[in-house]
Formats: sequence, structure tokens, C-alpha cells
Amino acid sequence: MVLGLYNSIAIVLGFSLLVIALDEYVAKPWRHKRWQQRADSGDQEAIELLKIARSAKVSEE
Amino acid sequence: MALDYEVPEDKRALYWLGDQLIEWRNPVMVFVLLITGLFAYWSFQLQLVTSFGDLLPQTHEFVKVHNKYSGTFGGANNIVVMYTVDEGTIFTKEHLTNIFKMTEGMDTVYGVNHNQIESIGHRTVRHLKVAAGGTLRAEPVMLRAPQGQDEVDGIRRIVHNAENVYGLIVSLDDKAALIRANFIEGRLDYKRIFEEVDSKVIDPFKGDNIEIYAAGEPRLYGWVYKYAGDVFFILVVTYCIEWVLRWMYFHDWRGALRPTLTGIIAAFWGLGFIHLIGLALDPLMLVMPFLITARAVSHAIQMHDRYYEEFEKCGWHKRRAIVASFAELFVPTFSGITTDAFGVLVIILVPVVMLQKLAITASWWILAITISEMLLNPIVYYYLKPPEPELVVLRERGAFRRWIERFTHVLLSPAGKTVTLAAWALMTVIGIFFMRGLTIGDPTSASPLLFEDSPYNVSHTQIQERFGGVEPLIVVSEGFDKDAMKDPQVLRTMEKFQRAIERDPDIGYSFSLADIIRAVNRVFHELEPKWAVIPDSWTDIGGLFFIFFSGSPPTETAKYVDPSYTTAHVTFFAKNHQGDNIRRIIARCRAFIAENPMEKAAFKLAGGLIGVLAAANEELVRNDLLMNFLGFFTIWVILLFTYRSFVCGLYILGPLIASNIMVNGYMAVNNIGVNIHTLPLVTVGVGFGVDYGLYIISRIIEEIQVRGDLEASVREALVTSGKAVTFTAVTMIVSTAFWITSSIRFNAEMGLLLAIWMGVSYVGSQTLLPVLVTVFKPKFITKEANTKAPKAALAAARLA
Repeated sequence: MVLGLYNSIAIVLGFSLLVIALDEYVAKPWRHKRWQQRADSGDQEAIELLKIARSAKVSEE
Repeated sequence: MALDYEVPEDKRALYWLGDQLIEWRNPVMVFVLLITGLFAYWSFQLQLVTSFGDLLPQTHEFVKVHNKYSGTFGGANNIVVMYTVDEGTIFTKEHLTNIFKMTEGMDTVYGVNHNQIESIGHRTVRHLKVAAGGTLRAEPVMLRAPQGQDEVDGIRRIVHNAENVYGLIVSLDDKAALIRANFIEGRLDYKRIFEEVDSKVIDPFKGDNIEIYAAGEPRLYGWVYKYAGDVFFILVVTYCIEWVLRWMYFHDWRGALRPTLTGIIAAFWGLGFIHLIGLALDPLMLVMPFLITARAVSHAIQMHDRYYEEFEKCGWHKRRAIVASFAELFVPTFSGITTDAFGVLVIILVPVVMLQKLAITASWWILAITISEMLLNPIVYYYLKPPEPELVVLRERGAFRRWIERFTHVLLSPAGKTVTLAAWALMTVIGIFFMRGLTIGDPTSASPLLFEDSPYNVSHTQIQERFGGVEPLIVVSEGFDKDAMKDPQVLRTMEKFQRAIERDPDIGYSFSLADIIRAVNRVFHELEPKWAVIPDSWTDIGGLFFIFFSGSPPTETAKYVDPSYTTAHVTFFAKNHQGDNIRRIIARCRAFIAENPMEKAAFKLAGGLIGVLAAANEELVRNDLLMNFLGFFTIWVILLFTYRSFVCGLYILGPLIASNIMVNGYMAVNNIGVNIHTLPLVTVGVGFGVDYGLYIISRIIEEIQVRGDLEASVREALVTSGKAVTFTAVTMIVSTAFWITSSIRFNAEMGLLLAIWMGVSYVGSQTLLPVLVTVFKPKFITKEANTKAPKAALAAARLA
């Protein structure tokens, strides 16, 4: 296939959406699970970091 | 929300500005998006066009001569098609018919100068025929495609006896014939010419025993246009690679998206502006937009990284983090953009229209990054969901940061500093040694725009090998009065000039009016060789010219001499256009002209491809040093105002100059010459090093205000800003290096060169710059240690 302007735009848009979807629905849950497992198994660094992160209160304004 | 929390006093205005941008987000965003939409619309109107005239230094004396005479004596835009046979000779009915039809086809190609086609099948290539009653007539070699063997034999006899044909457009072994056509500069449509030459001159005549080769500048650019489609493949792949890398670095799709938005908005502003001011994109300059977009993305990565850092520091307060990252990075980002923009603008000094246009458009494009990166950035962050604290915390303590910390520890140890300084000194000396071989102009005989095994360069080599030289150098013999070209002394000097320059190993052959007069005189005296001389009297010469030209229309004779016999030319056909060879040939021409003045005329250098390349090379030599100096000086001046220090510029420019020397050494070793295509890319490459250095220096100053200790500040700067610089450099190097896959050798080489340049500049900013700062302890940094208390307290307050 010869790439032109419009099919190139379609490919990069599609790829970007794929990355966003994979991040939201695959990578993020997997990351949470992994760090939780590390904390559950007694990894002190993971416990401490998760504690800091979970105690954080995000303020938008 | 007002700025009702404590902020650093020296940056209060910047914090206020960032906050106001969020406050007025809707009108600002609508305004910017409307203009961006307009520029986007104009961007899509852009076309790929190369204007040959824009590539020439129009103020140069050679180019003025070229412009004045290219319409009559031939320009630089020739296509040479070689028809060869593997077995037998071209003197068969089939082959001569093919050559005749190919010539007819060439005569119908768009933009061809119908009076400047040379081929045995064209009406303008004539021979002297002795007719009944002893009269002489100049008749075309072929009046039609041969009808039988008698006509074929007759054509062979004519060719073997015509000095203007045998060896020049028919090879001495009778196996090849040339069709040389000149194209009108104002009608150069490279794509169309390429397609029409293929469909009318080459494709219909291919056969088992036949090889057809085509070379010349319009053909070369045709190939470049054909390969330009590669750029979409490269852009798509690099886009995807960069997205994945950014996602891996930020652990969040927002980190991949945000720099993309910056790049796209800046690209619309840049491309739209190019169309708005009536310019077009040159396919050989496609690396440039990529490079500027990469620059925009690089600034955005710095900003995004800082936003994450400030988000944690500001107690997970999104708006404060946005404002803080904007204010804290304002100085390095803005001075980075302005140094890049004004650094590129110095290219305007080279009197080549294309470079001047490029300087203006590239500067504008780089300045447009301020819109996307600074004006719109806080607003985009405001609308994006903040990153999850968990992600920020985990990322800040990841393996990448630990690796940078270990590296910094080694670098700032006494041994690390010594090794760094010694290694850079050694590499710079090696660079200076090799850069002496840097060529101005093209370093090889084949076109450096395409690969050596490309169809174009294969054709070019085949034609050069068979005919000795196809690249014209036209020296005009300009008479002071009418009939000056009938003067024996003028013609003899032209002949002497030919013999003198033909001694150069890179000149294949030459042609002038003197060749015609000798040939006519010989035919007039029953082909006796002793009469192949220039007659002694004006009247004899005039008579012989009358015999030769009387049957031809003025449009045909004009390619040899103008109708009033005031001006003619000597054309040398060079074997290649290597920069060094052009310089030597032009020097020989100048020496001959100085030693051999004519009473009634003067030689004027120089038209043809070799002439205009000589002009471009001379302008580059004249401006190269000045431009480098002004480029660096501009950067130094901007740094002087940014950091209010005379020596700051030296610290940032030191590693940059060392990198510059090494890259020049690399260019010399790898036969990459400085020409009008490489020059702007090399100049833009300089800016990358400045950006890296600015982020590091700014962070050192920021840290020393809090910590007071120089070494600790440098260490912190390297593991924070340095981490982002490292990531930026890695992504930029990977994506730029991907241009190696381009079918256009120039783009591939420039991609690799810029990747190396960015790599060396990055290493300089991460090693040499911090070591220089810790060793020499510059005052413009150490004096900031006095502001430690308020900054430290502030940081503590913000954390609380």
C-alpha cells in the first residue's frame, strides 16, 4: 500500500486511539494489580509508595 | 481563582501569567484554535515544488550570466538520454528509427526548448552537404526515419564525418547515441517532465538488445519527487514509535498525547504560513519540518515532565501544578525557542532565495511553538484529567531515574570529571583534524541526493563512462560590437581556451564556434585536413558562416551565436560536479582569461550546471564562516539577556562548538559536503544542543536557590531536567535516525547526521556542561545561592 496524506492521518489517529484504549483498559489495571501484589507480598517499597499515593487528595482547582 | 498562595517573588509575574491564561482559557482557546484552523486550511493547500531559480545565488556574477544566456546557449536543466545496444551498432533501420522517434517524443515533452535538442534525429543537428554544382548546404543528419539500408549507410557516413556529431552525440564505437534536451527554467514541472520522458522517450523503446539511460537535473528532481512519497511512511512509523516511547516514559497516554498536540499546532502554523506567503515545500527539505516539529515535541516533553513533578510538589493541586510548571520552565523554554528561531534566521544572509525563504519560514515555525507550548499549554492541562498520584509516585522512583542517579554519581566523581574533560578535549582535536577535509559542494561525482545504486546514478555513470562528460560549463564570449565573433583573434582565443581547459582531467570535451568554422573550412576545401583551421581574414570567416548557417532559421543558429555575431560561447562538458573539481576548473578558466585578453570580446563566466554550482559553492564559502559566527553570536546575545551573564553563553556554547566540530569531522569522513541543501539542516541541528543546555542550566540555578550547594544542585538538575533531556534525546535520535530508510539518500544521510548531532549535543549537555559548571563554579550560578532561605521555605510551604 502506498501511503498518502489522508491514509497516513487515518493510521496515526487509529494508532493513538488504540494506545489510549490499551492504557486505560489494559495497562492501568495491570499496573495497579502488579503493585498491589508486590505490596501484598511484603515489598516495603511498594507498600510505602502505595501509601503515599493513596493518601494523596487530588484538587482540580 | 486568583493567585492567593505563596509563589517565588522573582517569578511572581510568570505565575500570574500562567494563572491568567487558565482564568481566560475560553477566549484564549477559541482565538488560538480559530487561527490554527485557518493555518490548518492553508497547510492542506501546500504543494511539493522545487523552483530551480530559487536554488541559485541570484546576485552572483555567474548566475547573472547564466540568466542572460540560458535561453539561447543552454541552461543547467538538461536531460540526457542515452540509447545503447548490447550487440551490433546503432546503425540499423530499427535502432535509427527508434532514435528518430525518441527524439520526436522528446520534442513533445512539456517545457522542452525545441531549439535546444541535440540528437542525430533532430532538425538542429546538421552536416554540410556538397550539392551539385559545388554548392554547400547544411542539412539535418536525419530528415526522417530511414526507409532502407541505403539510408542507414548514408547516415553512418554522415555521422563519421561530422565533428559536431561523432564522439559528441554518437559514441566512437557506434554503440550509443545521445538525445540531449534543454528545458525552459520557467516551465520546469519535474514530476510531469519525469512522467512524460518515461512514457514518450524511454518505455516504448525498451527491448532485449537495447538499454536506455536518462540523466540530468530535471530527471534527478523527478526521481526525488517520485521517492518523496516515502516521507509519509517515515512520518507514520516515527509517530507510532514516539507515541510508544512517550507512553512508556510517562506511563500515561496523556504524556503521549500532549507533545503531539504541541507538534501538530506548531506544524499547522508553520506549514500554513509557508503557503500564506506564497511558498511551497521542497521535497529535499522535508527533514526540516520534521526537525522543527521534533523540537516542539521536545519542549512539550520537558513541560509534561515538570508538570508531573510539580503535581506532587504542589500537594496534588492540579491548577497550581500547571501554573508552577509554566512559570518555572518559562525562561528555558522561551529562550530555547528564541535562540533556535534567531539562530536559524541568520541563514537569510546567504543570497540564495531558497535559503532566505527557508530562514524566514523556519524561524516563524519555531516561534509558533510559543503559541502551542506556552499559550495553549496551561489550558490543555486544565482540561485534561490530572495523572493519578500513584502513577506519578511510582514513576518518580522508577528504574530510569535510578539509572540516571548512578550515572550522575560517577560523572561528578573526581575521576569522572577528569575523564570527561580529557575525552571531550581528545574528541574535539580529532574532529578538528578530520574536519579539514570537509567539502564545500558535492563530494562525489554521482548525485549525493540519491544512492549510488539508484537508477538515476547508474544512468549518470553509464553516460559519463560512454561519453566522457555531460555536465555543461558554458563560458560566454561577449563581443564589444557586432560581428565580433567573425574576428580571427577571437575565434583563435576561443579555440586556445578549449585546448587549455580540456587538459583538465575532469573535462570530457568542449565545443565552440571555432569547431564549426574549422569543420566548414575543411569541407569547403574538399575535406583536406590541412584546411581544418580558422581562416586569417574576417571576410573568409563571414563567408564560411554564411555557408553553414544560411539554410537554418535564426532560432536554430542562436544556440551557437547570436544573429548579429556579437556573442557566442565555449561549452565544456565536465565529467562530474565534485566541489573540488569545480573549484579547480573555474580557477583554470579565470587564469586563462586573465592571461589571454581579446581585443574585440571578453569571456564571461559562467552558465550551465557547472557554472551555477560554482556560484552556489562560492557563496557558501563566502558566507559559511560568517553565518556560523553570527549563529553562535545570536545564541550568546540571547543567553546574555536571559541570564544577565557574559560567561553563561560560553558554558552553553562550549559543548555546542565541540559538538559542531565533531559533526563536521563526521561529515568530512563520510563524504557529506556542505551545500545549499545540507547547510540549513546543519544550522537547525545546532539549536538542539542549546535547548538541552538551557534546561540543565536553568534547573541548576533553580536548585542552588533552594540548596545553596553547587554540586548537589548540579546532581539534582541532572536527575530531574537531565532525565527529561535524556528521554527527549533518545526519542528524537530514534525517530530522526529512522529517516535512514528513505529512498532519497540526502534525507537518509541528513537523518543520520542529525541523529548523530543530537546525540553528541545531548552527551555534551549531560557530561561536559555539568562538569564545566562544577569545575569552574561560574558566578552567574553561584551568586543565586544567596536566595536559598526564601526558596527553601517556599518549597516546604508548597509541600505542606
